[in-house]
Amino acid sequence: MTAGRSALATAGVARSVLATAGAAAGLYGLVLLLSGSTADLTSIAIWFAGCVLVHDVVIAPLVVAGGAGAARVLPSSARPPLLAGAICTLTLVAIASPVLFRANALADNPTLLDRNYSLGFAVALAIVWAAVAVSLVLRRGRRSRASTAD
Amino acid sequence: MSTHPPTLLRDRLPGPAPHEDSFTSRLRTPTVTARVGLWLGISFGVCFITGLISHFLQHPPLFFTWPTRPVALYRWTQGLHVVTGTAAIPLLGVKLWSVYPKLFARVDLSSVRAALVTAVERGSILVLVGAALFELLTGFFNTAQFYPWAFFFTTAHYAVAWVAIGALLVHIAVKLPIIRAALGVPVTSTVNSDTLEVTPAAEVTPAVQPPGRGPTRRTLLRCTWIAAGVAVLATAGGTVPLLRKVSVLAARTGDGPQGVPINRTAQVANVQEKATAPDWAVVVTGPGGSRSFTLADLNALPQSTQTLPIACVEGWSADAVWTGVPVADLVAAVGGSTGADVRFTSFDTGLYGSSVLPARHARSTLTLLATRLNGEVLTLDHGFPARLIAPSRPGVTQTKWVSKMDVL
Repeated sequence: MTAGRSALATAGVARSVLATAGAAAGLYGLVLLLSGSTADLTSIAIWFAGCVLVHDVVIAPLVVAGGAGAARVLPSSARPPLLAGAICTLTLVAIASPVLFRANALADNPTLLDRNYSLGFAVALAIVWAAVAVSLVLRRGRRSRASTAD
Repeated sequence: MSTHPPTLLRDRLPGPAPHEDSFTSRLRTPTVTARVGLWLGISFGVCFITGLISHFLQHPPLFFTWPTRPVALYRWTQGLHVVTGTAAIPLLGVKLWSVYPKLFARVDLSSVRAALVTAVERGSILVLVGAALFELLTGFFNTAQFYPWAFFFTTAHYAVAWVAIGALLVHIAVKLPIIRAALGVPVTSTVNSDTLEVTPAAEVTPAVQPPGRGPTRRTLLRCTWIAAGVAVLATAGGTVPLLRKVSVLAARTGDGPQGVPINRTAQVANVQEKATAPDWAVVVTGPGGSRSFTLADLNALPQSTQTLPIACVEGWSADAVWTGVPVADLVAAVGGSTGADVRFTSFDTGLYGSSVLPARHARSTLTLLATRLNGEVLTLDHGFPARLIAPSRPGVTQTKWVSKMDVL
């Protein structure tokens, strides 16, 4: 009983320490931010709020709606590989966003953005969806074998 | 047919806005959120510590020292910073997806106190989500030198990093009971986020998942780890030579003149004229006075060749063989002590036009005022006629187009 109580107390102390350290770090960040110029601060605020808004109002609803739609339409056996494909595709879109249409955007420096990003993006997507296709075929094979065995 | 008391904000909103309970996916559970959150938290911790190291190397506080060996230490810490941040992108996406319905949770406005508590809770989450998205977005765009904003990247990324890590610690403190409960049971169990009551999965999950079922929570976790791996594979080639050909979306191939990429070109730094002037000489000043060394003078001094990586804060790095005069020899030539820091000044008058080399690095035999790279005379973009190269330091402090050295 006392052991349980002391464990609870330890957890309570840990939470207080975490919260205090977190509040201090956050306030320090705020002080750093406020020491910058108003122009910088305004731009930071716009991008900070923009990130949240674009995620909460645009990206998340689209993903949720896409997922709900897929769950309704697609056969459930096909959904796990398709989920993997979808998550990898969204990741690749995010990863490609700062380079995809910017090949050689910095003309003075040929060592930056020095790949064919459209081709690379297409190849990456092709590999992901080829893996999804293989997985779908294997699953279908496994299922039909399972049903004939019965 | 609302079942909620009318004091709730949700019920005052016009139109068919969704409610927390409108989200029906079985994959959104505290057990999934806690697992993805654990790795996301570890990622942010790694990014914060490695980022702090990089910041201290550029703006050293009094207590900070940094070793000269292993020579690739900064290459590793900064490579880890960028690779971990990149892997965190899908982790953050899935984490936010798993808790998205909470955005539509009932807002209790029944009393001033309840409203205040709600405001603080929601506000802290807003700060956490905003700071996390801001850090990953700005950091990742910086790797491609993409700045579609008006603020200065470095100071903003650093300040918001403190906000992000602070909000994360507060978030962990608030959620610690549910995190512990959710991580302590299999992912298939159900944990009530209010009461922490655990309901084990009704049936033991068979070793082989029978086909015909939709994605399970384990499927979602596996997909998340795979996506993090894909993100790393697609970009890490800039710092991991083995992945060069695989990383089709890396901002750099890792190649460049004399086998090394360039960050700041002579054209952008506007140094072409001064750096190629026939009467160029580096002026070294110390306790014993000032001495000027022309390129011929430098080439006549004893030369040293070292294999040292150059590692940029943007996460790319490359190994190279550098030849030049040991900085320690030049410091000794003007009577400088081995305990002195040395300031390097470039013809580049930009933000990174000068750097202070700590004494520990200045006296290291590895540190050179380099005139040759991989066997050839430095190209103008690599810092011709002479540049600093020291072990385990950020690329921006490896001053190019050196015009002055001051022993401090």
